[in-house]
Amino acid sequence: MSEEPRIVDGSRVLGVVPGKPAVGEEKIPARQKLVFVWPHLLVRHAVASLAVLLFVLAVSLVFNAPLREIANPMSTPNPEKAPWYFVGLQELLSHLHPMIAGVLLPGMIVLGLVALPYIDRNPRKKARYRKVAVWTFTLFLVAWLVATIIGFAFRGPDWTWVWPWNGWYGEL
Amino acid sequence: MKPTVTERVKETAVGRSIFRVPDRETPRERAEGHWANFFLHLYPVKIRREELGFRYSWYLGVISLTLFVSLIVSGVYLMFFYVPSPTTAYGNIQFLQTSVPFGQFIRNVHRWSAHLMVVAVMAHMAKVFYRGAYKPPREFNWVIGVVLLVLTLLMSFTGYLLPWDQLAYWAITVGTSLAAYVPFVGKQVSQLLLGGPQVSSATLLRFYVLHVAMLPVILVMAIVIHLWRWRKDGTLDPGGELDV
Repeated sequence: MSEEPRIVDGSRVLGVVPGKPAVGEEKIPARQKLVFVWPHLLVRHAVASLAVLLFVLAVSLVFNAPLREIANPMSTPNPEKAPWYFVGLQELLSHLHPMIAGVLLPGMIVLGLVALPYIDRNPRKKARYRKVAVWTFTLFLVAWLVATIIGFAFRGPDWTWVWPWNGWYGEL
Repeated sequence: MKPTVTERVKETAVGRSIFRVPDRETPRERAEGHWANFFLHLYPVKIRREELGFRYSWYLGVISLTLFVSLIVSGVYLMFFYVPSPTTAYGNIQFLQTSVPFGQFIRNVHRWSAHLMVVAVMAHMAKVFYRGAYKPPREFNWVIGVVLLVLTLLMSFTGYLLPWDQLAYWAITVGTSLAAYVPFVGKQVSQLLLGGPQVSSATLLRFYVLHVAMLPVILVMAIVIHLWRWRKDGTLDPGGELDV
């Protein structure tokens, strides 16, 4: 190595260091390589967008939005149901005190969701490394789904249990 | 090589007035072009390849946004034929369905888009949870997402009353009856929502104003911040690379 400096392509080579290059080595896995949003992401978004729009237009051709008789404050329908996304709370309301099911619980759900990223400080993202968070969330999600489905499809007059095939009281 | 039609159009005086700058070809020029584009500035210039696929996001964010745009377009059409008063509202809907061109169809689009948007926003939230995408540096964008969920529910709830049929009237009666149980200020909250002791013409007007003016403006602003944070936080992600 300790020879006289050589001239290569008009430059003087002062020395050669064996080993890996100090810069420029590839360390990023392929899935984390950056790609341009246009066209790669925007084309996919356009397709997703058009597919959803097509679906909505098709559904709207086949199913009409419901319109019942004109509102009459003198005649209460039985059962009277909240919109489907609140019907889970309505179901709980039939078991718990309205203060708990109607105010405390929805308030806690919203506050809990807001606080979630500040409570869960586990940096791991894969589900198998965050069992507590995943199980807790799943438990709430399933409970909410079950309450909603029961309230929507399984409740009839006076909020009694009615099998969907014996009578349908769900409204969209 | 012979210039293409597009190239020839771009070279005319009119073409040059529309396309302000020459074609961008190198990666650096393309990135700059994206950055400077009015319509694209809410998107990042680059993202990680893993974020492209269906499995990553199920495209639930863009699906929610699509449904929201569909709701704005169909909703504006409906506004031309609707007066928010108990004496007119129901008749307006009947007239819309029977005598207005595409009235029934546009009302269907509005109704089903609304239900689907609630589903899409909830699913979006669940997907983000399971992907762990609410973790640093994205905590606050999750919070904005929760606000967007609540706003979506309020949009749907206020719109539910507007047809002024039995379904609307009693669903809102049930929903708002809970307000009375809010501790200490229950009566005041109920009064504020309904404008009286029960669902009435004052309630209809309030819900209408909330539905077509206040909530949409707030929702649009929250969506814009949500997207802006998505772009900004993405470049801070340790999984990604600081490159633009």
